[in-house]
Amino acid sequence: MALTALIADDEAPLREQLRTRLLEAWPELRIVAEASNGAEAVALANQHHPDIVFLDIRMPGMGGIDAARQLYDRCHIVFATAYDQYALDAFEQGAIDYLLKPVTPARLQTTCERLRKRLAGVQPAPQDIGAQLAELGALLKGSGVGAKPNYLRWIQAQVGGSLRMVSTREILFFQADDKYTCVQTATTQLLIRKTLKELADELDPDEFWRIHRSTLVRVDAIEEVTRDARGRQMVRLRGFAELLEVSRNHGYLFQQM
Amino acid sequence: MAATTINRALDFVREAVAEASALWWGFFDWLALVEWRQLYVTWFLVLVFGVFFQLTEPAIWFVLISFGVKVLAGGKRRAELTAKEESSKAKVATLERRLMEAQMATLQAQVEPHFLFNTLALIGQLIETDPKEAARVHAHLIEYLRSSLPQMRANGGGMMGTLGKQVELSRAYLAIMQARMKERLAVRFEVPDFLGSAPFPPMMLQTLIENAIKHGLEPKVAGGTITVRGHVNEATLHVDVCDDGIGIDLHADEGVGLANIRERLALLYGKDAELVIELPPGGGACASIRLPYRMTEFD
Repeated sequence: MALTALIADDEAPLREQLRTRLLEAWPELRIVAEASNGAEAVALANQHHPDIVFLDIRMPGMGGIDAARQLYDRCHIVFATAYDQYALDAFEQGAIDYLLKPVTPARLQTTCERLRKRLAGVQPAPQDIGAQLAELGALLKGSGVGAKPNYLRWIQAQVGGSLRMVSTREILFFQADDKYTCVQTATTQLLIRKTLKELADELDPDEFWRIHRSTLVRVDAIEEVTRDARGRQMVRLRGFAELLEVSRNHGYLFQQM
Repeated sequence: MAATTINRALDFVREAVAEASALWWGFFDWLALVEWRQLYVTWFLVLVFGVFFQLTEPAIWFVLISFGVKVLAGGKRRAELTAKEESSKAKVATLERRLMEAQMATLQAQVEPHFLFNTLALIGQLIETDPKEAARVHAHLIEYLRSSLPQMRANGGGMMGTLGKQVELSRAYLAIMQARMKERLAVRFEVPDFLGSAPFPPMMLQTLIENAIKHGLEPKVAGGTITVRGHVNEATLHVDVCDDGIGIDLHADEGVGLANIRERLALLYGKDAELVIELPPGGGACASIRLPYRMTEFD
């Protein structure tokens, strides 16, 4: 019985390219289905049971890595990617097959050769694919570095009829104001319904510091901390005239190192 | 012999005068800047000292002279000193600004390698199947690279171009993305011709469009539409990029692109320009650059 394959890529011309190249490199291989995203690839693979699945890494909805995690115990996975520094590094170290787009006939020939041997049982299939895929997935999601837990990065504020989005990087400080909280940026001031307590829980504690019962300040915006005539610590923010008071029980934040 | 002695004496006098004048001006500056409260305390101490050492008269003279100087010349001298300080601050600010400009120039254009490689892969494929389309995409890619690579930009990546130029660049980019995403990407430009000559900083519109595709439309299976809109509201030029994609993840960092636009706007226009991000009620996301617009500008 002829071997079968599935191709998944969100860009139609690149699916076509791989199909024609495969036809030249491995004429007996029958391409049973083509998918344009990860979810479609999984569904079609369940339907057609291909021996080999070619997966693009970046696809809308479910990407190639997530699709592979559902399929790797049933078929051989070959990734295709145009450029992805992190993924390429991981592939070089691991044993997962991959192709670089645009696919060259020579490179495809080598890959097909290896697949033939594996499917004939001459060469063992790579081990621990599941673990490698999990690692790869985490690597790509966090872009490799400092993937922080889910802290709030955008504040939503109703301005007139529209919903304004304010990035936390733009904010100088939050100040409790009765039932509302005032959001101060370099250019505007907005009111939101969230309380300071709720914000303090959701925001990154390394990005915003509580300096007073009613003030939450962005650490990166602080220019200097001084003392006024009464000995209170005052925070000066970059590009903002008004000083913010540090309450006594938060003074430890700015102790001399 | 006599000449050297005289010279030496003259040198000594000159030095003494210089020293005395430095001391006097130091005292003068101190007097001009010192708080009145602190001055009262000083007077009190001087008087106590004077009485104690039987030098009451010089002490009284000191108080009278310092009072006189403080009242008559203090204000002027203080103003002079603050002005000096301000001007050195301004110099530092100018230097900082230049440094920022240099940093911005390196930051403002980053052609994503992923985009470049994918487009080249597409052209490679089209050469075999549809050479006409390949030539078209190829031409768009050249146009895109010409205006987005900093070293290719005229006047060494200057701080200002026109909106028309930026729209052209974005059209080239979107044409390439349409060739790749096919029916998943629709594009609408609503920028009236008369705005083409309006001054507009380079690579800002492009960043907004790349963001809309990358975060709004590419992750959406069905794709969607990008609308680029330019209009003048009172004396403000609005350039909006709207998409009907998946919207904004509240827990995702805004990324360097938007932060960079905001910093450059602050640098170029101070508080007169802003970048506004909104979620339209119909879904998707809208990013809007707003900056001062003058009717009588001919560049």
